[in-house]
Amino acid sequence: MNRVKKVLSSKQIVTLVWVIGLIIVWEIGATVIAQTKRTPEYVLPHISQIVDSVFSDKLVNGSQTATQIVLSNAALTLVRAGIGFIIGSIIGFILALLMNMFLPVEKIAFPYLMMIQMIPILGMAPIILAITKDIDKSRIVIAAILTFYPVATNTLAGFKAVEKAKHELMYSIAAKKKDIYKKLLIPASLPYFFTGLKISAPMAITASILVDTLQGGGGLGCMLSQSLKHAMSIYVFWQIVFFSAIIGILSFYLMSVIEKLVSPYKKVRR
Amino acid sequence: MLRAKKMNVDYSKDLGSDTEELKTGIIIENLSVRFPDKNGGDPVEALQNINLEIKPGEFVSLVGPSGCGKTTLLRTIADLQQPTTGTISIGGLTPREIRLQQKFGIVFQNPVLYEWRTVRRNVCMPMEIMGIPKPERTRRVTQMLELVGLYNFGKMHPHELSGGMQQRVGIARALALRPKILLMDEPFSALDEFTKEKLHLDLQRIWSKTKKTIIFVTHSIQEAVFLSDKVVVLSPHPGRISAVVDINLPRPRGLEIKDTMEFNSLVSKVRNSFEGV
Ligand SMILES: Nc1ncnc2c1ncn2[C@@H]1O[C@H](COP(=O)(O)OP(=O)(O)OP(=O)(O)O)[C@@H](O)[C@H]1O
Ligand SMILES: [Mg+2]
Repeated sequence: MNRVKKVLSSKQIVTLVWVIGLIIVWEIGATVIAQTKRTPEYVLPHISQIVDSVFSDKLVNGSQTATQIVLSNAALTLVRAGIGFIIGSIIGFILALLMNMFLPVEKIAFPYLMMIQMIPILGMAPIILAITKDIDKSRIVIAAILTFYPVATNTLAGFKAVEKAKHELMYSIAAKKKDIYKKLLIPASLPYFFTGLKISAPMAITASILVDTLQGGGGLGCMLSQSLKHAMSIYVFWQIVFFSAIIGILSFYLMSVIEKLVSPYKKVRR
Repeated sequence: MLRAKKMNVDYSKDLGSDTEELKTGIIIENLSVRFPDKNGGDPVEALQNINLEIKPGEFVSLVGPSGCGKTTLLRTIADLQQPTTGTISIGGLTPREIRLQQKFGIVFQNPVLYEWRTVRRNVCMPMEIMGIPKPERTRRVTQMLELVGLYNFGKMHPHELSGGMQQRVGIARALALRPKILLMDEPFSALDEFTKEKLHLDLQRIWSKTKKTIIFVTHSIQEAVFLSDKVVVLSPHPGRISAVVDINLPRPRGLEIKDTMEFNSLVSKVRNSFEGV
């Protein structure tokens, strides 16, 4: 009994149950919809049909297959999301440093950060587009805005979580501020910094896709809305949905991998 | 060049003795430390009217029941805690000035290791900050880890060590600095009897070679008597000095001294000066 319980509660099993459950619900939905008069593939195709469409060489917009459309537009979106993410991370980290070094900066900046964070991207995106007048720049800026906040707040929390005793060791040997940051605060807050990155990486991608929908200049989001308007195969839509979800999850794991590579930190397992 | 360095086996030099004049006598006058009560009650008198003189190069132990202010006294000397009233003078300077000259080495009651650094790099860390050149750092780390019996654990991280091993890393780290004033807060409390006795002898040897001033907090009267020139007994609530017992046993002291009459009568003398315990 206990053994069964253990197996059932393991992480992989949970994931598996989730995926299977999702597939079942999906297929029931697809079957029900197929029974209605509408052609099912315009709304909710079977999963097998979507998988088929990935490998099919049927041209859907005259020159490209569904997969080609997704991949070529993905590059456009993801590269911008990546650039924005990197810029946002750097700004977020520097901001955390400044807020930790100078209390007034924290007092002044924090409410603004909260406010920026509360504006929905849907509202912010057109404003940014109007300011930058360039969809590429907007993608980068929006991704950066969404990234810097979780990075800044988490890193700041990391600085503040350093125990007093660890500071006292530095104090007792009259360490300079530079050394305290280099040898204590920054290494100690790395796990927090990466938590920030893990939160914001999928967000940056989502945001970049959202910005695409604003203009017809290509990108995953643009294709998403075009395919919804039946200008293209519905399979493009579903492929993008799955592709984005997978990329989002991968971006999270990529951060974990980078964390393991760069951080000398060993997690305490006790 | 390198060879000549390696051939240098003068142990006294290795342990960082220096001939420069040591102004590390400590004079504590009318020292009081009061902690305000957070709930608005009476403040805690951690230390009240402490007067104590420690000569340069003296080995002094602080003993007393838990909560009597030993750690507080040590922290006040180290400039980690500000006195409410009274003064501390170390060779004519304030604790702060001594701290800024990087003359303190502290072994904390909890080892305070940086868990992202290996044992070696933990011991190394203060030396990096003091700007000691890398080859010298490496040499000292090796030497100190050998001393505390952790040479084979240099590449491990603190959480992979037992409590006693972590404590020894803290000791190695403080010794590697070769501080003029060594402040040790129950450094051997988590160690077994054998390791402890070995380290007692090592510490005595280092102390006699390097002439540093050592203030040593312990709960063990035997340990205090064995190591010290002077045992200071504190009593609690408020923390006051209830006795100072001079230990005039000959040096160097071997473990066999613990079986002598003189030793045991000193232990009794210290024990009898505990108040109300
Ligand atoms: N930061 C602090 N804030 C408030 N009270 C404190 C603080 N540090 C110590 N005290 C109080 O001062 C008294 C002395 O504490 P201290 O840590 O110096 O004792 P100690 O002799 O080192 O005890 P132990 O042997 O248990 O380590 C205690 O009553 C304690 O409650
Ligand atoms: Mg204590």
